[in-house]
Amino acid sequence: MTGLVLVDAAVPLFAPVGITLDALSKAALYVVIASGLSLIFGLMGVLNFAHGSLTMVGAYLGGAVMVAFVSGASGDAARLLVFFVAVAVVFAALTALGAAIERTLIRPIYDREPLFQILLTFGLVLVIDELARIVVELRGLRPQTEWQAAIGTAPDFLSNRYGILGTPTRGLYLFEALVGLLVVAAIFLFLTRTRYGLYIRAGSEDAEMTQALGIDVRRAFTVVFGVGSGLAGLAGVLLMWDPRFGASVPLGVEALLIGFIVVIIGGLGSFKGTVVAGVLVGFVDALMTWLFINYVDFPGLPELVMFLVLVVVLVVRPKGLFGVAEVGGH
Amino acid sequence: METHAVHVAVVAVLALYPFLYGFLVGVDVSVLGVHVGDLFDVFLPRITTMVFVLYFGLFAMSFDFVSGYTGYLSFGHAMFYGIGAYFVILAGSGKVPVLPAEAPFMLMLLLGALLAFVVAVLVGAVSFRLTGVYFAMVTLGFAEVAHVFVRNWSYVGSNPRDGTSVEFDRAGYEVGVPFVDGLGVKIGRLTGDSFENVLGTGVDLGTADVSFYAVGVVVLLCYLAMQRIVHSPFGRVMVAIRENEERAEAVGYNTFWYKMGAFGISGFFAAVGGGLFAGYRRSVAPENTFDLFVTADALLATIIGGFGTLAGALYGFLFHEVLQGILSTESHGLARFLRGTLSDGVLSAGVGEFTVLEFINVFVDGRAGLYLGVVFVLFVLFVPRGLLGTLRDRLDGTVAEAVARRLRRYRR
Repeated sequence: MTGLVLVDAAVPLFAPVGITLDALSKAALYVVIASGLSLIFGLMGVLNFAHGSLTMVGAYLGGAVMVAFVSGASGDAARLLVFFVAVAVVFAALTALGAAIERTLIRPIYDREPLFQILLTFGLVLVIDELARIVVELRGLRPQTEWQAAIGTAPDFLSNRYGILGTPTRGLYLFEALVGLLVVAAIFLFLTRTRYGLYIRAGSEDAEMTQALGIDVRRAFTVVFGVGSGLAGLAGVLLMWDPRFGASVPLGVEALLIGFIVVIIGGLGSFKGTVVAGVLVGFVDALMTWLFINYVDFPGLPELVMFLVLVVVLVVRPKGLFGVAEVGGH
Repeated sequence: METHAVHVAVVAVLALYPFLYGFLVGVDVSVLGVHVGDLFDVFLPRITTMVFVLYFGLFAMSFDFVSGYTGYLSFGHAMFYGIGAYFVILAGSGKVPVLPAEAPFMLMLLLGALLAFVVAVLVGAVSFRLTGVYFAMVTLGFAEVAHVFVRNWSYVGSNPRDGTSVEFDRAGYEVGVPFVDGLGVKIGRLTGDSFENVLGTGVDLGTADVSFYAVGVVVLLCYLAMQRIVHSPFGRVMVAIRENEERAEAVGYNTFWYKMGAFGISGFFAAVGGGLFAGYRRSVAPENTFDLFVTADALLATIIGGFGTLAGALYGFLFHEVLQGILSTESHGLARFLRGTLSDGVLSAGVGEFTVLEFINVFVDGRAGLYLGVVFVLFVLFVPRGLLGTLRDRLDGTVAEAVARRLRRYRR
C-alpha cells in the first residue's frame, strides 16, 4: 500500500525523464518508418502508399528469420547477432522487391499525372496486404493480430526493465533509440557521401536540371525506390520486437499513417525535416500517452493529437517545416 | 427525350432486377449435372447486395463529384459518409439534442447531410489553401482525427470501437414524406415492410426488395441532382479547375469558392449515402464508416468505373460487389459452390499436399481483396479512363448521346 502511494507521488517528479525516454524510442521508430518514404518522395515526388505494407512484410519476414534461427542459438549475444542478420536479410529482400516494383509498375506511368502514382501504390497496398494474409494463414503464423512468437525472440537484457533516474524503462526502448540514431547517421552519410545521395539532393531541388546535366535519373529512381523499400523493411524488423506494435497485417496501415504524419510535418523532400518531425511527433506522442495514463480519460488522445499537429502544421506552413518549394518531377 | 433513352433503360433494368434475379435463380434446369439456378445464384448479386451497391454507389459518386471533376483527391471522404451514418443512428437513439428519436427518417437524413455540408465547408476552407498531395494528406488528416475521435467517443456506446446500433423498439424509421408514409414503405432489411400481391398483380415484394426500391429512389434523386450540377455552368468551372486552375482563375473565376462549393455539395451527398446505410443496416461501426479503407473502396469504384464520369462510380462499385459476392465465404460464394459441385476425385487431385480443394480454400474463398487489388492496378496501368470513360472515348461522347444518334439514324 505504501509502495503504491510512493509511486504515485513520484509520477510528477520523474515524469520528464519517463516521457523523454518514451519519446526517444518512439521518435527513433517514427524516423526509421518515415525515412524511406521521405527519400522516395524527395527524389521522385512519388508518395508511396505501399510503404506501410512493405514495413509489415519486413516485420513478418524479420520475425520469421528470428524464429527460425533463435531456437538453435538461445544466448543473448547470439540473439542480437541473429537480429542483425534478420535486418540484413530483410533489407536486401525488400530493396530487391522495391526495385522490381519500380521497374515493372511505376516506371511506365511517370509521364502521367502524379495522381496515378498515388493510385498505383494504393493498389499495391490491397495486393500486398491480401497476399500477406494468405501466407500468414497458410503458415500458421497465428494470432494474426500480434505475432507473439516474434516478440518472444528478443534477448532477455532487452526485455528486462531498468531504472533510470528512478524511472522504469525497457532495455528495448533504449536499443530502439540507438538503432534509430545509427539509421539516421547511415542515411545522412548516404545522402552526403555517395553518388546517389548527390542525385537525390539534386533531384529534389530540380529534377529536370539534374536530368539535363546528364545524370541517369531513371536509374537513380530505381535505386532510391529500392533503398526506400529496404528502409521500410528495416523499420518492420524493429517494430517486430516492440510489444507496442508487433508483426500483424494491420501494422501496414498503422505504419503508413505514422510515416505520412512525420514526412508531411517535416516537409516533403527534406530528410532533415523528417528527422526533426520524427522527434517532434515522438515527443507529442509520449506526452499525450502520459497525459492519457494519468489525467485524461480518452484512449485515442495520442493518435488524435498527432493528426491535429499534422493539420495545424499544414495550415500554418503548407509545405511543412522544412519543405522545399517544388519536389520531384519526372 | 431521345438522349434520356439510356437513362430510362438503366433505371428500368434496375427496377426490374429483383424479378429478374428471382426468375433466374429459380430456373430448375440441370446441364451436365450443374444446377443452372445455383450458377446464377453464385454470379448474380443478391438484392441485399444491390441495396449496398446503391447507397455506397451514391457515396462513390459523391467522391467522384469532387475528386473526379475538380481533380482534388479527397482522401478523407469517408468522414462525410460517417457523419451521415452516425447522425442517423444517434438521432434514432434519441442522442441528438432537440431532435426526438421519433423524428422522420428523411428529416434525419437531411439534417445529417447538412451537418456534413457544414463540416465539409469548414474542412475545405482550410484544405483548399493546399494542392495535390498536400490536399490529399490534409483531408486524410482531418478524417483520421474524426476516425480516432469516434472510435473513442463513449457517448456513442459503451464500447465505441465496436460502434453502435439503434436502440429503440420501433419497426423501422418512419420515412416522413407525405403520402409515402401511408404506403408503409420503411427502410430496414430486418424490420421493414413486405408487400404481398402488389396492386393485385400477384407479385410479392420481400423486405429487401422494399428497401431496394426505397433506397433506390433516394439515390436516383441524388444522382439526378449531382448530374444537373455537373452539366451546369458551375460544373463547367469545376472541370476548368481540373484541367488548368491558373487559366480558370485568369478568366476571372474565384476558383476557391467553386472548390468549396463542390466540396460542400459532395460532402452533403456522401452523408446521404451514409445515412441510407445507417437506416438500412440500423448499426454503424468506425471501420465501416470513418475508416481510410472506406474512402479506398470509393476510390477503387471510381477508378474502375471511370474518373470524372459520375455514373461510372456506381458501375465500378457494382463490379466491386459482384466480385466480392462471387469470392465470398457465404453459402452463395463460388468456393462453396465448387466444393459442393466438383467430384471428390477432382477436389483431391493436385501436386502433393496442394490439392484443388486446398487451392479453392486458399485462393478463392473470401479472397476478393487480392483480385480487386490486381484489377485496380491493371486499370491504373492500362485503362486509366475506367470502364465508362473508355466507353465514352470509343463512342465519341456520352453513351446517352451516342444511343440518341443511333436512334435518329434508324428513324430516318
